[in-house]
Amino acid sequence: MEVVAGLAQGFAVAFDPINLLYCFIGVFIGTLVGVLPGIGPISAMSLLLPVTLSGTPESGIIMMAGIYYGSMYGGSTTAVLVNIPGEAASVVTCLDGHEMAKRGRAGPALGIAALGSFAAGTFAIIALMLVAPILAKVAVAFGPPEYFSLMVLGLTILSFLTQGSMAKALLMAAVGVVIGLVGLDQINAMPRLTFDRLELVDGIGLVPVVMGLFGVAEILSNIEQQIRRDIVQSRIGSLWPSREDLKASAGPIGRGTLLGFLLGVLPGGGAVISSFASYAIEKKLSRTPERFGKGAIEGVAGPEAANNAAAGGAFIPLMTLGIPPNVIMALLLGAFIIHGLQPGPLMMSQNPGIFWGIIASMYVGNIMLLVLNMPLIGMWVQVLKAPYKILFPLILMFCIVGVFASGNAVFDVFVMITTGVLGYLMRKFGYEAAPLVLAFVLGPMLENNLRKGLILSEGNFDIFVTRPISLACLAVAALLLLAPLLPALRKKREKVALDVTE
Amino acid sequence: MVRRAEFWGGLFWLAFGVFVTWQGWLLELGSLREPGSGFVFFWLGLLISALAISIALNGVRGKGPLLGELWQGARWRNVLLVILALIAFGFLFEQLGFVICSLALLLFLMTFVDPVKPVLSIPISIVAAVGVWYVLEKVLLVQLPKGSWLEGLPLLG
Repeated sequence: MEVVAGLAQGFAVAFDPINLLYCFIGVFIGTLVGVLPGIGPISAMSLLLPVTLSGTPESGIIMMAGIYYGSMYGGSTTAVLVNIPGEAASVVTCLDGHEMAKRGRAGPALGIAALGSFAAGTFAIIALMLVAPILAKVAVAFGPPEYFSLMVLGLTILSFLTQGSMAKALLMAAVGVVIGLVGLDQINAMPRLTFDRLELVDGIGLVPVVMGLFGVAEILSNIEQQIRRDIVQSRIGSLWPSREDLKASAGPIGRGTLLGFLLGVLPGGGAVISSFASYAIEKKLSRTPERFGKGAIEGVAGPEAANNAAAGGAFIPLMTLGIPPNVIMALLLGAFIIHGLQPGPLMMSQNPGIFWGIIASMYVGNIMLLVLNMPLIGMWVQVLKAPYKILFPLILMFCIVGVFASGNAVFDVFVMITTGVLGYLMRKFGYEAAPLVLAFVLGPMLENNLRKGLILSEGNFDIFVTRPISLACLAVAALLLLAPLLPALRKKREKVALDVTE
Repeated sequence: MVRRAEFWGGLFWLAFGVFVTWQGWLLELGSLREPGSGFVFFWLGLLISALAISIALNGVRGKGPLLGELWQGARWRNVLLVILALIAFGFLFEQLGFVICSLALLLFLMTFVDPVKPVLSIPISIVAAVGVWYVLEKVLLVQLPKGSWLEGLPLLG
């Protein structure tokens, strides 16, 4: 009953004309950045973070959420038609989606991607609506040890699932915490690593760091190589999949949805991993695995459903625990904080309008996306034809503007340039930026909870292992940290990394 | 050994880790009952140093690509030009103002990095720079630098 009343209140917020407009802008921009290779949801959300300040908190967050799930939809268009993933979660869609397009079946590939995404997105919202209130009640009992251990687990999972060297991923997470702690000590207000610069007293801004590591670094990596786009020239044809296509896709969509949702909820998990996992499962379950990579519709339906379900599932830890499970949710947390809101167990009771408004707007946004993606495919194809040499200077300018507008300081522009160069070199040397950014956001909370836990226990580390939830999180984290030492698990992890690279 | 990317990457992060450890020490570690401001920095610095040493050792053992291989076939001149353009933008942003700086940046990138025909690059740059300025200044009321060197010029100031 509580859920129904909450949802009714949420729809009242979502159907407010201004919120409908923000939702539309969000899903439209999300689809656009999903379609355009070279600018992902992270860059787009960072760019628009300052814009959300001009509206109400719910409007801004509805728009940001729209960009996120919109980009998951849009990414598939580029993957199918150009064989370049518009964003990372669509890498797998390239494998069979583009092959289908080359065989004149671009329409059904795009159609099943949109339908699968819609079904998975809707399931994720319903599950979010049902699970979140229960988890929020449990989370009220969380103390500093639980929060600390949960964050350690999140960072460890992300490092474990990152491509390549785990040592490098852990190093990035540690560096992220250090950068996140620059500024005043939250407990005794002592300036740390500020080097007597006033700009650093409030800490380093999230927007310049993210824009540098993802936006500028992406551009620098792209312009050093000739980008070749192999746009499918044949007619796209009817988008509606045939009866056989729908029959073949039903199972993969169902499995992908469930898997994506579960992986999305896990701290450190997310859309990218779930799409790869779904592809692997579908290939394994298929009676004709040799069709995969040559235009199997199941290879499009499963991963597309999984990445959209994960996008919805990722809202659960943020909304109920206040812990972002991935970089995008970290940005959303930034948006909440800018508006003076703290997501977490109390959010549902203290700000029900915002909580339920966001959930309700996701229903509306999903329908908008279906409308946007099905009939407007032709327009997105035209967008895809814009040459990168015209796009990248504009993206760079938007990065600068976004960073400057977020803090009104040229210092932030220099932070973005520095982190951009650092991000570019990190890509070259095989260091991933995702653990750094997540740790950057979690850093202050992690330190705060560790120190509070130690103060509470009078310096006894037992507090972290005597509470069951905290112990469970630390035990899983320890297992993952030790995994690379076990040959069987190491091979498994290397295989996942290899699949991702391929 | 010295030609391996892993070795130099590890060395860089080792220097960073040692610096963080030292800063943590200076900030005071406190005690376990009451950890000080430098407590987390100190231990993270040690963790970073240990991980960096393990990465550098991989390079010593001959693992990973050679430094030169990382830029093989890459158009690194483009990367350098973009970085220099961004740095120049940062230094001139407040002096020349948003419109002139953005216009110059866009024209530079579309002329020298990945050339676009002037028939396209000039109108795109003007429309983008002026359009973004208009939306931010007039619609979203975001204050952009007007250019301290151009104060007094009514059209630009």
